[in-house]
Amino acid sequence: MIKFEHVGLRYGVGPEVLSDVNFSLDPGSFHFLSGPSGAGKTSLMSLLYLGRYPTRGIMSMFGQNIGQMSRQELKNIRQRIGVVFQDFRLLNHMSAFDNIALPLRIAGQPEHEIKANVDELMEWVGLGDHRHMLPNTMSGGQQQRVAIARAVITRPRLLLADEPTGNLDDEIGYRLMNLFDQLNRMGTTVIIASHNTMLMEKFSHHSRLILDRGRVELITPKKTIKQKLEGIF
Amino acid sequence: MSKFKKSQSLGIAKETRQYDLPLNKGAGGYFLRILIALMTFLAILALAASFTLSAMTERWTSGLEDKASIEIPAEDDSGVITSPEKLEGLAKDIHKFLINHPAIESAEIMSQQEIAKLVAPWMGEDIEFDNIPLPSIISVSFRKNVTFDKDALARRLKDIAPQARLDTHESWLRDVLRFTGALNFSALLVTLVIGITTIVAVGGAVQSRMAIYREELELLHLMGASDNYISKQLQRYIFIISIQGAGIGVAVGGVTLIIIGFLAGRMDISLIPDFSLNPGQILALLLLAPLIAFLGMFTARYTVLRALALMP
Repeated sequence: MIKFEHVGLRYGVGPEVLSDVNFSLDPGSFHFLSGPSGAGKTSLMSLLYLGRYPTRGIMSMFGQNIGQMSRQELKNIRQRIGVVFQDFRLLNHMSAFDNIALPLRIAGQPEHEIKANVDELMEWVGLGDHRHMLPNTMSGGQQQRVAIARAVITRPRLLLADEPTGNLDDEIGYRLMNLFDQLNRMGTTVIIASHNTMLMEKFSHHSRLILDRGRVELITPKKTIKQKLEGIF
Repeated sequence: MSKFKKSQSLGIAKETRQYDLPLNKGAGGYFLRILIALMTFLAILALAASFTLSAMTERWTSGLEDKASIEIPAEDDSGVITSPEKLEGLAKDIHKFLINHPAIESAEIMSQQEIAKLVAPWMGEDIEFDNIPLPSIISVSFRKNVTFDKDALARRLKDIAPQARLDTHESWLRDVLRFTGALNFSALLVTLVIGITTIVAVGGAVQSRMAIYREELELLHLMGASDNYISKQLQRYIFIISIQGAGIGVAVGGVTLIIIGFLAGRMDISLIPDFSLNPGQILALLLLAPLIAFLGMFTARYTVLRALALMP
């Protein structure tokens, strides 16, 4: 599904923010991405959602080396990835409905299907009464739910979420984690960048990518994760 | 596209969603519309001037290709005044020769009244011509598509009347055509400059919009929007602005041309043709609006695709 081989990333002529990153994630797996501030989580996420290309190494997604993909192929790959950005990146001139519908419109889905799908999901995330609201008039939690709904509306093959429950109360946060879990059970590979150790403990059956000083370690057993995190934080 | 009922409530989407990018925000579109309107207005005037110059050239040159005039001045090369009777005799001799020439269809000796009328603009209407030695002029029409040696004809005429001059209008026509051609070229050059200015203005406007909404563009790109999907939005936006601006320019230009035509008609200058456009020319001017709109749209497409190609 995702394979990093000796991947490095640097911005301009600066030092490498990610160096010699190696890991491989299976299709349909669920991972938390954690690590101290400045460890390179955002950079790693930007590589995963194809916002940047690695400056060295080989990065493969869906069985293809992204360095050898055409522009059209990259576009198709991007349509199979859902992203929840930490700062939501909602379009403030559009209603919540249109924000969530955007990936479906980009994919060219018919309008009547879009309406049915978006209405259903908005109800599910508790925004049924906020269809026509503009994002900048919504609370942080509501905006976050719009961002999450937008990321999952296409049932992506890969879901990337950067602190997706940061602004949510426990109940909504837990509900959305269950949504991610549900998507994962339907075959979506999920990667969630989070600092929330309680949340990670609650869903401790998932493996973790622990990022430290530009390097990634993939850890699966619960006990080892705890020990590893205690060492870092 | 979802359609929402208009609402005055704060924070509610008020209009039908038009673009994924907030292109309708800000005053940039308003200024671009005015600029395109002004450019179109100038293009209309330049093109109309070009059409009028073409009509003027056509009028001045039409029929002159197959015509010539033979002048027998009253004064010979040594300054001696030829008597009117002798002048008339020479004119008759030349006329006799001309009507038997195979390349000449017709030849006509102009009467003294006709000659007086011709020189009236320079000499005045009220002048008494009795004491002024007027030349004899013979108007000649050549047969079409018959080639002959004009120099030989001129030499033969000099044999009959040494002071006779053959004027085939060629040098005069050449000067007129050169002059109107230069004016026409200038008018077309102005139109070209206007076109280039429009392209530069639209390109700049698109680039500035892309810079302002870079984050939104990047978001669409990351969601898997194709370059074509993104560029279509800016193309549509620029097309609407351009067609509105160009429409205004054509309308104002049209009104201006009508006023100019009305004023020119009242001047009654016989040398200048009536300021009127034929249906083809009017259609060409009307087509300027969609032409500019398409020009703007393709400029937008080119600019957007070039900028998107730089994105990973």
